[in-house]
Amino acid sequence: MPRYELALILKAMQRPEMAAALKRTIEALMERGAVVRDLENLGERSLPYKISKHNQDHRRGGYFLVDFDGPPTIVSTMMDHLGRDVDVIRPTFLKHPVSKTEECGGIIPVNYEDKLYTKKK
Amino acid sequence: MAATLVVSSRGWGRLQQILAAGQGASASCSVLWRRGYSSQQEQVSHNEDLPIQMENPYKDPPKRCVLCGINVDYKNVQLLSQFVSPYTGRIYGRHITGLCGKKQKEISKAIKRAHVIGFMPVVYKDPTFLNDPKICDIRHPE
Repeated sequence: MPRYELALILKAMQRPEMAAALKRTIEALMERGAVVRDLENLGERSLPYKISKHNQDHRRGGYFLVDFDGPPTIVSTMMDHLGRDVDVIRPTFLKHPVSKTEECGGIIPVNYEDKLYTKKK
Repeated sequence: MAATLVVSSRGWGRLQQILAAGQGASASCSVLWRRGYSSQQEQVSHNEDLPIQMENPYKDPPKRCVLCGINVDYKNVQLLSQFVSPYTGRIYGRHITGLCGKKQKEISKAIKRAHVIGFMPVVYKDPTFLNDPKICDIRHPE
């Protein structure tokens, strides 16, 4: 099962309501056959721009990151489900980023003349 | 003076021979010193004196860009904001950031992703990151 990352932005609410919303979301994920690995809280911060959702304008939100393994069919169904949830401002499913930092051999100088001009045979 | 001018390539060997004979040096020495001796004589390998072919040991290591070896992530808004204009929020080009092709593409993709997801502002730079160290070679008009 491929590994996904759900970047979730929830409405700025009180702690118990926020917890309830997260619980709902993760239960929905598990219902559809996902194995949740990790849930990170990136804090409550002001949104970079005003987001209008469910007839409301939001300027602050709680940022969460859900790391899970699930079948590929989960993405469309979950987007549908989260679109209908009033407390969710912006859900985004991403492939889990593979951190590859090896083999950066530096800038190799390219011979532009050979690259851009075709030599006459 | 005239005598030295007269000494040609052939004449020099002759002179050596004469001098050697006079001083009692071995005949083989004078033969070797003679310029233009025939190849029928014993071949001494000249290759010992020639320089050994090797890769330049004083070559500089390849130049690395600022992000060489650093993982670029859409969540790392502070890093991404360093490559964005503070006034308009536009992404700086390669000639300003000085990044290699791969990293420039990665940064560009990450910034656009962060815009959509709602992590990074689009038309301005987040004010908390305005006083970050300057990486880009941008010169604003006075």
